[in-house]
Amino acid sequence: MIALRGLCVRTGTGHLAVRDVDLTIQAGQRLGVVGESGSGKTMLALSMMGMVPDGLQVEGQVLVDGHSIAAEDERAWRSHRARSVAMIFQEPMAALNPLVRVGDTIAEPLRRHLGLSRRDARARALNLLEETGIPQARRRLDQYPHELSGGQRQRVLIALALACDPQLLIADEPTTALDAQVALRITDLLVRLSQERRMGLLFISHDLAAVSRTTSDIMVMYGGDVVERGRTASVLSAPEHPYTRGLLAARPSLMTRSRRLPTIPGTVPQLNALAAGCRFAGRCARELPICASRRPPLSPTETGQAACHLLGAQA
Amino acid sequence: MSYFLARRIAGFLLTLFVVSIVVFAVMNVLPGDPALTILGLDSTEEARAALRGRLGLDEPVVQRYLAWIGGALHGDLGQSYSFDVPVSGLIAERLPLTLSLAVSGMALTIGLALTMGLTAAARHGRAGDWAIMLLSQLGIAVPAFWLSMLLVLLFAVKLRWLPPGGFPGWGDPVAAARSLVLPTVALALVQSAVLARVTRSAALEVMRQDFVRTARATGFAPRHVLWRHVLPNALVPIVTIVGLQFAGLVTGTIVIENVFYLPGLGRLLFQSIANRDLITVQALVMLFAAIVVTANFLVDIAYVVIDPRLRAQRA
Repeated sequence: MIALRGLCVRTGTGHLAVRDVDLTIQAGQRLGVVGESGSGKTMLALSMMGMVPDGLQVEGQVLVDGHSIAAEDERAWRSHRARSVAMIFQEPMAALNPLVRVGDTIAEPLRRHLGLSRRDARARALNLLEETGIPQARRRLDQYPHELSGGQRQRVLIALALACDPQLLIADEPTTALDAQVALRITDLLVRLSQERRMGLLFISHDLAAVSRTTSDIMVMYGGDVVERGRTASVLSAPEHPYTRGLLAARPSLMTRSRRLPTIPGTVPQLNALAAGCRFAGRCARELPICASRRPPLSPTETGQAACHLLGAQA
Repeated sequence: MSYFLARRIAGFLLTLFVVSIVVFAVMNVLPGDPALTILGLDSTEEARAALRGRLGLDEPVVQRYLAWIGGALHGDLGQSYSFDVPVSGLIAERLPLTLSLAVSGMALTIGLALTMGLTAAARHGRAGDWAIMLLSQLGIAVPAFWLSMLLVLLFAVKLRWLPPGGFPGWGDPVAAARSLVLPTVALALVQSAVLARVTRSAALEVMRQDFVRTARATGFAPRHVLWRHVLPNALVPIVTIVGLQFAGLVTGTIVIENVFYLPGLGRLLFQSIANRDLITVQALVMLFAAIVVTANFLVDIAYVVIDPRLRAQRA
């Protein structure tokens, strides 16, 4: 079980890139994190790997099996990476060492972390590749990354991430660089692996369709804050927060093809320009006078929780 | 791959051929009478004529070139005028010393440079990086012969750990190795300073790439990530510089052998020039040029050994 308690990520200039996130991911739970670029999704994920970039400071607690791991305890983090928490990244093209054969890449953690012999590691690597459904798995072992397609490389990275049987797999926009067909197969694969292995899945994306297909729970982030969370199906069908509504309205669908898509005006501001209160203030269509100065707490809604002053105003 | 190899070998042989013409031309076609050069201004006309006959200088240039190169291919480089023995024998006697010096110098250079360069890259922007870069700047600024004298003063004269110069012969391997320590260090310190800088910047370039993050996320220790994932990918620029430096190292042995009184090829070249022994000088210059051309040929081969993508490209 992986949990965050009051997690903040502070930049060198003292601004918060992630603000007060509480989170628990149970075995087999699939949680989607959505939000625009700059909403803190990736920082949140990196803090769960102890891999927040130099110069940023993590505050609050990261708990692995109930034990808190200090952000600066690199040695402790190293023993948790791949074994407790594994991560796959956005760009499968660049994420594999181009000089190492696929089989050797997957065998490396098996040999170094689990102490398997060369033979056993190779056999296990083949099993892992087969588990990801890559075609002609045996042949792939001796191929180099440049000989594989983008989808195949992402499968190799998934096999690598599974090597040490992690409790949680973080997938940071795993399908963004892939074409739609391949992306669907990868998300379905992640769901299947999570179910079969009772492995937690943290699925980061700005693609709401992919998130609704992949996850059971959802967390919407804006400017480093969690603005809404709940069951994926309920939140996406009945969003409470104006930001979630905006995201949903901006989603293309077959019915609205001929129409210009609505957008949320503006972009996510720089961290130093964010409001002290609700960070969506300034872009929100339904802003109240209180929004810019007071931060709305996460309060219960019909579908989960949302952080918005409108909830109180309506009640 | 075999086509690539065949083309490289053809290029290598062609380069050697052109080099031999240039060396021969510089030594023979330049104005002036070689016999006069060899015997000096106070020689008699009869003596010069006799020498010209003995050296075959009366024959046409092309024929002389063919005779020289034909002999060289059979291991006959002519008769040294000043030593009055076959040049090939002179070279065979001294080649092991110069080669050991060059190879051990290169090995030490590479070992030092990789360690310093990777260490600096791993501590990028911190004190260790600064210290190593400062040291290497110093190494680049100091000439090898002056460094040699400092080393002799410290380790031979003051501490008396190592002999200040001379060579006891290969009969006593320990004494022979001891007498090569200071010359090797003197050669390597200067060369490794340049190579360490190249290694550092190549490593920094690679460390920005995604697969390094993947390796970290797989829980490998920094040292493992550096040597197993960063270094191999940084090797192409490093090997390029090593190839260039080998030429510098071979010419460096000329200086170092004279500073340390080592009876190697560099010392032989120096003596032959002083003795106006044109035949020996010509053979030695050709040999040094051939060593450098060979080193560059090996670098070309090394590229495709290192990188499977280049292998595929050039198949």
